[in-house]
Amino acid sequence: MKKMSIAERLGLVNYLNQGKTEAKPHILVDTDICNETCDHKATTRVCPANCYTLDEVGKVHFQFEDCIECGTCMFACDKGAVTWEYPDPEVGRGVKWNFG
Amino acid sequence: MEDKFDCIIIGGGIAGLSAAMTLARNDMKFMLIERGEFSGAKNVSGGVLWGDGLARLVPNYWEDEEGFERYINHRRLTFMDGDSAFSIDFKSDSFNEKPYKGVIVLRSKFDNWLAEKVQEAIEQSKYPDECFLAPNILVEEVLMEDGKAVGIRTGEEKFFADSVIIAEGVNNLLTRQVGLQDKYVPADNLAVGVKEVIKYDQKVLEDRFQLNGLSGMSNEFIGTATQGVEGGGFLYTNRDTISFGLVLGMISLRDSKMKPYDILNEFKAHPIIHDTLKGGEVVEYSAHAVSTGDMKVMPSEIFSGGVLVAGEAANLLMNSGKAIQGMDYAMHSGVCAAETIIEAKEKGDYSEATLKLYRHKLEDSFVMKDMRNFQNAVHFLHSEQMFKTVPDLVCDFGKQFFTIKNEPTPKTTKMLTGAIKRHSSYWELLKLGIKGARSL
Repeated sequence: MKKMSIAERLGLVNYLNQGKTEAKPHILVDTDICNETCDHKATTRVCPANCYTLDEVGKVHFQFEDCIECGTCMFACDKGAVTWEYPDPEVGRGVKWNFG
Repeated sequence: MEDKFDCIIIGGGIAGLSAAMTLARNDMKFMLIERGEFSGAKNVSGGVLWGDGLARLVPNYWEDEEGFERYINHRRLTFMDGDSAFSIDFKSDSFNEKPYKGVIVLRSKFDNWLAEKVQEAIEQSKYPDECFLAPNILVEEVLMEDGKAVGIRTGEEKFFADSVIIAEGVNNLLTRQVGLQDKYVPADNLAVGVKEVIKYDQKVLEDRFQLNGLSGMSNEFIGTATQGVEGGGFLYTNRDTISFGLVLGMISLRDSKMKPYDILNEFKAHPIIHDTLKGGEVVEYSAHAVSTGDMKVMPSEIFSGGVLVAGEAANLLMNSGKAIQGMDYAMHSGVCAAETIIEAKEKGDYSEATLKLYRHKLEDSFVMKDMRNFQNAVHFLHSEQMFKTVPDLVCDFGKQFFTIKNEPTPKTTKMLTGAIKRHSSYWELLKLGIKGARSL
């Protein structure tokens, strides 16, 4: 089997409210904390959906659209930068697994 | 709603549904609220539901072949190094007997099926119109009054009940809200599971894994599978797909500088795995946080006034080396929680004094007995020697032992000594052996 990129893998995920531009986030990240006080920036490595990325100057960026609600960042961030708060399912993003 | 429920269950996964089933059968009035569009929509597991708990919850479940994928009659544990795989393989005709020793499930399908069974039980209960399975609703808050849970809030609406069972899964925000767990739970005793569901022609799958009817295989992997990161791999056969993936310790992964999906690619590219998987088509990629079984991560208590916490919300999950158990713990804890609520209603007392019965029930059951007895095994399995040294040593020995050269063959003990010296020492191995023997 050929190697798959994370983009190809996430392309297989069934997201809620796909296509809606105004989906509400369920995770809020204060990237100032990541960039100013965090020495490990763990979320950029452990997130299995690559929602946390480092740019060319080493700054952390976050997007929730690809999030598969695994919860890893909730534990991996020990600096208080990550807050989970689900919106109403009608307007939230997140997953609906076909297999699970 | 004017009337209050006997119980509100938060979460329609296995723990919540098992509680609901038990309440329905005892003519209790309850509401189960699930955040996903349906039960299972947001659940991920490896996964094997071990043991016969399902047969007690849904008698003769095997007659209805819709819920589970396959039952386990073949188990394999594989040690891997860079180019080899050394397996302990066990298959038994006795495992074809019912109740099965374990069933492989896909949660989106299984939980949905279980919810249908619960709905049937509701319809047969005394209060078919006063019990609800309510999906696609978010519980925002557990309502507390004088230190006791009195209901829940969802958006602007409030629902009241004598008790609340929190079965929200490992990302237990409400368990934290009611104060049973710290607001921040460190990653030390958590892992992230990444998984692919890979599809095959069913005949190809059955031939490749020697499946017969609905029989299935579970295969766990330790060693190169995780590229040096603490954890292991798994492969379970479904009807016409396999569940294939890794469980990786979060801290070890953080320090490895590798990404979980890249490690999964390396695992798939391993020559032995490559041969096993060839021809398949990935149809879903998923991931989830998972507790590792260290009791240090558990909530400070699993009950308080009006509240019981069940399943992985209480971090009830363990990899003891024999099996990764979580869904059976969820099922049993859900049942115990519901039984406690039933007794509380009979007594007319939902105070902590009654609800601590839940703790006793769980302590007296396999769930807490096993978790307490196998804590050393959990630590043992998470030691670096177990996922690095031992697999390398075993495979090194295997390569020599199974190689036949047309020259004088050294004695097996000499091969073993060589392998031990290359990867460890007698002393280290002796210590490991003693630790392992005591813990398992």
